Amino acid sequence: MAAQTQTMTSEPKAKETEQFLTGAQAIMQSLVEQGVDTIFGYPGGAIMPTYDALYDYQDRLKHILVRHEQGAGHAAQGYARMTNRAGVAMVTSGPGATNLMTPIADAMLDSTPLVCIVGQVKGNLLGTDAFQECDIIGISMPITKWNYQVVDADEIPEVIAKAFHIAEAGRPGPVLIDITRTAQTDKMTKPFHYPKEVDVISYRPRTVPKQEHVEAAAKLINAAKKPYILAGHGVLLANAQDELKEFIEKAGIPVATTLLGMSAVDADHPLYVGWPGMHGNYGANVLTNECDVLIAIGMRFDDRITGDLGTYAKQAKVVHIEIDPAEINKNVFADAPVVGDAKEALKALIPLVKQNSYPEWRAEFAKYDAIEYEKITKKDIFHEGDQIKMGEAVVMLSEKTKGEAVTVTDVGQHQMISNRYYRFKKPFSSVTSGGAGTMGFALPAAFGAKVGAPDREVVAIIGDGGFQMTLQELGTIAQSGLPVKIIILNNNFLGMVRQWQQLFFDRRYSFVELQNPDFITIAKGFGIAGHTVSDRTQLSESLDTLLNSDKPYLLEIICEKEENVFPMVPAGTCVTNVILE
Amino acid sequence: MKTTYTLSIFTSNTIGLLNRITIIFTRRRLNIESLTVCETERVGVSRFTIVIRHDSREAVEKLVRQIRKVVDVLAVFGYLDHEIVFNEIALFKIATPLGGTPLNIKEINLDWNAKVVHWGLDYVVIEKNGTEQEISEFYEYIKNWEILEYLKSGRVAVGKTEKGLVEYLPEGNWEVV
Repeated sequence: MAAQTQTMTSEPKAKETEQFLTGAQAIMQSLVEQGVDTIFGYPGGAIMPTYDALYDYQDRLKHILVRHEQGAGHAAQGYARMTNRAGVAMVTSGPGATNLMTPIADAMLDSTPLVCIVGQVKGNLLGTDAFQECDIIGISMPITKWNYQVVDADEIPEVIAKAFHIAEAGRPGPVLIDITRTAQTDKMTKPFHYPKEVDVISYRPRTVPKQEHVEAAAKLINAAKKPYILAGHGVLLANAQDELKEFIEKAGIPVATTLLGMSAVDADHPLYVGWPGMHGNYGANVLTNECDVLIAIGMRFDDRITGDLGTYAKQAKVVHIEIDPAEINKNVFADAPVVGDAKEALKALIPLVKQNSYPEWRAEFAKYDAIEYEKITKKDIFHEGDQIKMGEAVVMLSEKTKGEAVTVTDVGQHQMISNRYYRFKKPFSSVTSGGAGTMGFALPAAFGAKVGAPDREVVAIIGDGGFQMTLQELGTIAQSGLPVKIIILNNNFLGMVRQWQQLFFDRRYSFVELQNPDFITIAKGFGIAGHTVSDRTQLSESLDTLLNSDKPYLLEIICEKEENVFPMVPAGTCVTNVILE
Repeated sequence: MKTTYTLSIFTSNTIGLLNRITIIFTRRRLNIESLTVCETERVGVSRFTIVIRHDSREAVEKLVRQIRKVVDVLAVFGYLDHEIVFNEIALFKIATPLGGTPLNIKEINLDWNAKVVHWGLDYVVIEKNGTEQEISEFYEYIKNWEILEYLKSGRVAVGKTEKGLVEYLPEGNWEVV
């Protein structure tokens, strides 16, 4: 077993030296020693002893009171996506804990590190159907990377250290710790020690890849005539955007980013070719089936990217760089698998690849870009109809923020349009719910992102449907005073579902039209200023008002009602089957 | 054609791990034919032996990687029958009423390699160890008497390699029980 160094960094308070900490105090002290600065939470019966301990820790731990536990989870996700450290959510047992399940499932699919601390009924009541008891270990098992029930106060420091280690190491993910009320109120029977280094013997993910695997990958890449890179979330999670840039520039290979990998490459980089997938770019999709070597970095070949696996990139040799060995050969067979962290793998790969450029191959992408621009982009951004199109609003936002803002998007048409038209200039700039597609994600996640990156402009872009799923978090934002900028792209429809009903269900619009509230009045009720714009001539000025506000602000943009998002690869079909109009 | 695969899963001994492993099967709609969990010769290491039948070796390989991904799992191996020594244990409670056909104990012992482990007043309990095939053949034989109860354990299996358990485990100080 590797050595565990144990240290106490903070000065114990006078009364703590007289006696051992309670479990609740140990939770607080553990978070401080872990370097946590923010907890997103909501109190309740079974977690009250810990909230009582928090009362004495307010100078060291910032707690943000959300309005619903789901908001705590998504805010912690937004925070984690900005900082690459585990976001912390703390809630009570029963319904408090079940309300956290959607963010946890979302974080599992999008590899977001979370540590969720959940209260549980007293130890002697476990299994008795006690008030607010629920088997949250059982419920959360399939959607957590690891979970654990603490029944003994003495376990707390070690379990919390292990939780952070597991959440952040390897492929990150959500961890849940269920702590009985008794474990919070009981005193520890030994002095508090927080292990600074944790070794979980059964979980030692490989970060540095095997040299022979890197060499095999380099050999394929160097022999390629039409290589193509798909860069995913793993690049950002490994902080490998600089290595990726160096790699593509040396090897001269065109690169696309997945939805979660968005902003890992500067959108204006000459080698950047957009994104693949259901609403990705024309060339980025079609040329997947023409490249000879497909280099996947930190991505998992989600079905929204591959469409029909039976026809996906069958002509290509596949290099798959991935930290999670379970992803290798899961969906797409890898001719050259490289198990390791994207940063370490790219560092090892860069010296082995030849300086190259593929002008003819890159021209293929440009050819498709030109068609896409003519058939789609031009119509979206130089629209002349009465109503504002989502695309033109996002393009204007992108220009006004110089592509340097963080956009936090919800799920649906606006999400696809935002990631299509926002020109990301900086890494860690697109936060979205990709794998789970959780409506209601954006508002709390944008708030969490602003807490994690207070110096960056954070703009939540949300549809009118998704906004109503978590709009109570306007209260959290107002109370914090943080200048989170909120745009509702309102088309009065559940737009993406409506689009599918139009295209695949004979325009049978089944329950997709909303009777919306007055969003501006709602915002004002929460103490947040805002206004509505529906006239194109006032769009620019409206965005200026939003961006120049030093307080939270809500801008509702009334958009064309029946706009469709193109290009589109219908679900489960071949990536060359792109609908352009 | 479905093939039988035996999975040997070594884990740290933690509460709830059984659930975490079985949900990987249920999520993929895989039926577990048999499941045996026991401690091993190393402190804190448990061993799961799970038998499944599947028509795709590739799918079983993916399954193995998903199981290995569980944080508390130390190692996973998937075996075909010829790669392992395996056995099950079956118990038969057989009625021996007064005036019934007597059991041929010698035949049971010598020909069937089974033994009576308990003599009741009007029944006996017979233990038969062996492969599924051998147990099923014995079943055909013993059903000439009245079977009051029959049950068998899941498979236990060891790989036909020279290696010891500790060589499969991550590097560490694995104390012998």
